[in-house]
Amino acid sequence: MKLNMPRHQQIYAWLLLFPALALLAAFTHIPMIKTLWRSFTSSGMQNNTGFTLDNYRYLLEDDVFWQVLSNSLWYAAVTVPVSMILALAMALWVNGKIRGRSALRLAYFTPTILPMITVANIWLFFYTPEIGLFNNILGWFGHSGYNWLGDPDLSLFSLMLMTIWKEAGFFMIFYLAALQGISRDFYQAAAIEGSSRWTTLRRITLPLLMPTTLFVLINAFLNAFKLVDHLFILTKGGPNNATNLLLYYIYENAFSFFDAAYASVLTVVLLSILVVLAVFQFGVIERRVHYR
Amino acid sequence: MFNRGKKRMLAVVLSTALSGAAQAKTDLTMYYPVAVGGSLTHVVDSIIADFEKQNPDIDVKAIYAGNYNDARVKALAALQSGQPAQLSVMFSIDVHELMDLDAIIPFDEVATSDEDKTWLNSFYPALMKNGQVKGKTWGIPFQRSTIVMYYNKDMFRAAGLDADHAPKNWDELVDMGKKLTKKDASGQVTQWGAMIPSTGYPYWMFGALTKQNSQVLMNQAGTETYFDKPAVIEALSFWKSLGSEHKIMPEGTIQWGTLRQNFLEQKTAIMWHSTGNLTAVKKSANFDFGVAMLPANKELGSPTGGGNFYLFKKSTPEERQAALKLVKFMTAPEQAAKWSIETGYMGVSPAAYNTDALQRYVKTFPPAAIARDQLEYATAELATHQAGRVRKLLDDAIQATLTNQKSAEDALKHAQQQAERVLKRFE
Amino acid sequence: MSFLNIQGLSKQWADTRVVEDINFEICEGEFIALLGPSGCGKSTTLKMIAGLETPTAGNVILNGQNITNRTPGQRQLSMVFQSYALFPHLSVKENIVFGLKARKVPVNERNKRLRHAVELVNLGDQINKKPSELSGGQCQRVALARAIVSQAPLCLMDEPLSNLDTKLRNEMRTEIRALQKQLGLTVLYVTHDQVEAMSMADRIILLNAGRIEQMGSPQALYNEPASSFVARFIGHPPMSLMTRDKHLIGIRPEHITLCKSGYSEGIATHNPNKNPNNNASVIHCDYHGADTLISVDFQGSALMLSLQGHHLFQAGHPLAITWESQHEHYFSAKTGLRTANL
Repeated sequence: MKLNMPRHQQIYAWLLLFPALALLAAFTHIPMIKTLWRSFTSSGMQNNTGFTLDNYRYLLEDDVFWQVLSNSLWYAAVTVPVSMILALAMALWVNGKIRGRSALRLAYFTPTILPMITVANIWLFFYTPEIGLFNNILGWFGHSGYNWLGDPDLSLFSLMLMTIWKEAGFFMIFYLAALQGISRDFYQAAAIEGSSRWTTLRRITLPLLMPTTLFVLINAFLNAFKLVDHLFILTKGGPNNATNLLLYYIYENAFSFFDAAYASVLTVVLLSILVVLAVFQFGVIERRVHYR
Repeated sequence: MFNRGKKRMLAVVLSTALSGAAQAKTDLTMYYPVAVGGSLTHVVDSIIADFEKQNPDIDVKAIYAGNYNDARVKALAALQSGQPAQLSVMFSIDVHELMDLDAIIPFDEVATSDEDKTWLNSFYPALMKNGQVKGKTWGIPFQRSTIVMYYNKDMFRAAGLDADHAPKNWDELVDMGKKLTKKDASGQVTQWGAMIPSTGYPYWMFGALTKQNSQVLMNQAGTETYFDKPAVIEALSFWKSLGSEHKIMPEGTIQWGTLRQNFLEQKTAIMWHSTGNLTAVKKSANFDFGVAMLPANKELGSPTGGGNFYLFKKSTPEERQAALKLVKFMTAPEQAAKWSIETGYMGVSPAAYNTDALQRYVKTFPPAAIARDQLEYATAELATHQAGRVRKLLDDAIQATLTNQKSAEDALKHAQQQAERVLKRFE
Repeated sequence: MSFLNIQGLSKQWADTRVVEDINFEICEGEFIALLGPSGCGKSTTLKMIAGLETPTAGNVILNGQNITNRTPGQRQLSMVFQSYALFPHLSVKENIVFGLKARKVPVNERNKRLRHAVELVNLGDQINKKPSELSGGQCQRVALARAIVSQAPLCLMDEPLSNLDTKLRNEMRTEIRALQKQLGLTVLYVTHDQVEAMSMADRIILLNAGRIEQMGSPQALYNEPASSFVARFIGHPPMSLMTRDKHLIGIRPEHITLCKSGYSEGIATHNPNKNPNNNASVIHCDYHGADTLISVDFQGSALMLSLQGHHLFQAGHPLAITWESQHEHYFSAKTGLRTANL
């Protein structure tokens, strides 16, 4: 698309864009470039120590990094689809004609309005083996329960569970809004054509929800990498890094280990992952989405 | 007559104003953390207010900055961005890294008078261990703690044990722990013998076990670690055996954050925890509880913990003197006693325990003295260069062992190797 | 034998009766218009027949089978919506064969029906486009094609042309009627537009406030309106009504004429003043091109007459008007029902 604007209008347009661009540059683009620069030219807390690949070499040798990376990818790969499917199911459920659906909507939405730190503090006590809710419930069935956060085979799963609980309600709201925007005529036409519920869901509802799904997908992926507040409360990345996620590891390096250089390298890795995801989502999936 | 009086008054007012202008007020900014729950900020505020009343020429801005990590980050960030901060309370074990960053100065440079030197020697030597490096004093103890053993006297009685005899050594801990562990008909444990937290600050708890096994974890210079010494491996094996072999403690890791609640809800008969929890446990426990020194193996022992005062380098000589005055005030026996009673942190000098206030308090509440008594056997908390990374190496090793991913020996040898790599350039 | 038989169909929302006891029968191949002002219950009736609304009472019998409790998909009928209800994410082709796919019609059969329908509605080169790339008229054709491929014997249409402009609407009217005849479809066509109903339908069912007001051929409704409501509703411009004693007298505008050179035989009966030249005065004139609509005050009643050609009178202009008594319609002032001529 080519815009043929008169010159004075172009200047006007740039003037209007300028404040936002300036803010973006100051707080997003310049720090990003600085981080990239730092990752090649600093060591520990010292800046400008000359060009070096040491920080990247350390990355390759760092077992913890590889574990953290795999944790992060698993974390995203599980929490994103599960919370989205749950969100969709809940939205379809509360969108139907059932009694007390506004109460139900509120119930589903509540986790979303609580701050992550608060949620984590509540769930910390849910998960605690001796006094926690989950093991008490399992106890009624004669099960001795689990050490949810203390068992390295279980702890990442426990984090995922809480994240899904928190995120699904949030995404449900988007799906619910989208569902209410779909004309009833479509469903009536489909019903007359003898389309089963499943066919209607698969061939009409889901395709019409695709723009929402894309939006939710991007947000869910970003959140999966961005949200680590709960780690500070629940596990601090333990036991033995079983729940350590990339952003938390960056925090640890920058503020606990005083290693800004290595934190920059990790930040570059995180940024690269996010860029790849964004390109994939906008480039590949977008083409298959129908916008009304 | 009347006229003369007026003139004299004017002169007085003028001279006061002039002298006020000549010696302008000194402004001090101080960051401090609070690591255990509770509204301790008002205690700090009231001490600061008292100080300002006594020293009208000094203006103190005390900024509460979250936990130890947050306080360090905020103080350093403020310094880097050019905002003034002349002193702060920070983790006692941050000393090596603060020195490496060239951010702090030793107190010896400022405290030069004989009186000052006496003051420097007035603290418990155990509390000075983390603050003294290369023969100089970089940190002055303020909110300091050790680990003590909290135990449920009601449960001891119910298990047929002497409620005034807490386990004195590892064997007793295991034996009593077995008597204190209760199972229901289906074999599920309803009450544990003991819990030692293994998240949050595992290295700190472990420091107690190794000291009890007569082995420290690092040298005073913070350039070497001893993670793979046989006594250290033995200590970690013992910790793990409490769960896996003796079954008196849950297997896997135990949360630092919920442990106090476990103890208050009587899910465990014994917990090891910071003295900083003492006042909170005292307020909430609805059963008879006792506090004792940690049990010994080869000897008694616990690491110290908590926060020290540091002086920042970026300051004028006047500011440094004012900062020293403030530190001296806040660690003086009366203030230290007040602080100890309100929080459960210990009085930092023997003189603090000799004040009327603290003596009276100890008489009505004997557990308050346990931390002090244990100081005699205390060692420094794990502090090295690159402390965060080294600490994490040990934390990971402890957790890997407790969660059965590695043997104590493998985990600690690996941690030692990595630590040596990290510390190589500081030798 | 009746093809579609509606028996006592009623619908009630809380306290509001939207449709009340509707009965009618349709023969195979008929084109029936369900006509009425908005809110008269015509769409609700159609949706109850389609199975999209559940009736409060009554039965729907199609081809001898009671389908009242069947799902819409089981009823063997097709439907064309006012909004077209085309799925925006599917191509024209996919929209048309949507139902065939849902019903698992074999591919060969599907393609055959698709080709046939596309040809009928003249959509040949559009079938790979998305609905958003089509004009309103083309969308309506797709909706028609979708109804055609289903080969359902009964086709329901819910105001299918009301979103189109006048010119297109006129074209589509003819086309739909032609298609219906060609395919032998039975069509139930909901509209609020009497012109559509008059020009397309074999029979019209006129609804008012949830009840059937009159049912019959367009001529029957026009020539012998069963009530004053029908009289006012059918015809453009509508019939003028005057109150006389216990009656309403109706006269259609095209039946009123001007007296030639101020003289007329019929006038005396209606003009007690025996003033043959001026028995009415003009209120307003509307020029329509071929004719002019003139509303006049005639003995205190407003009448409408239409004159060929261009006639613009000032308000208050006196006129002498007349009509033949055979064109008068009589209704009871009380019930509104048609009565015999006096």
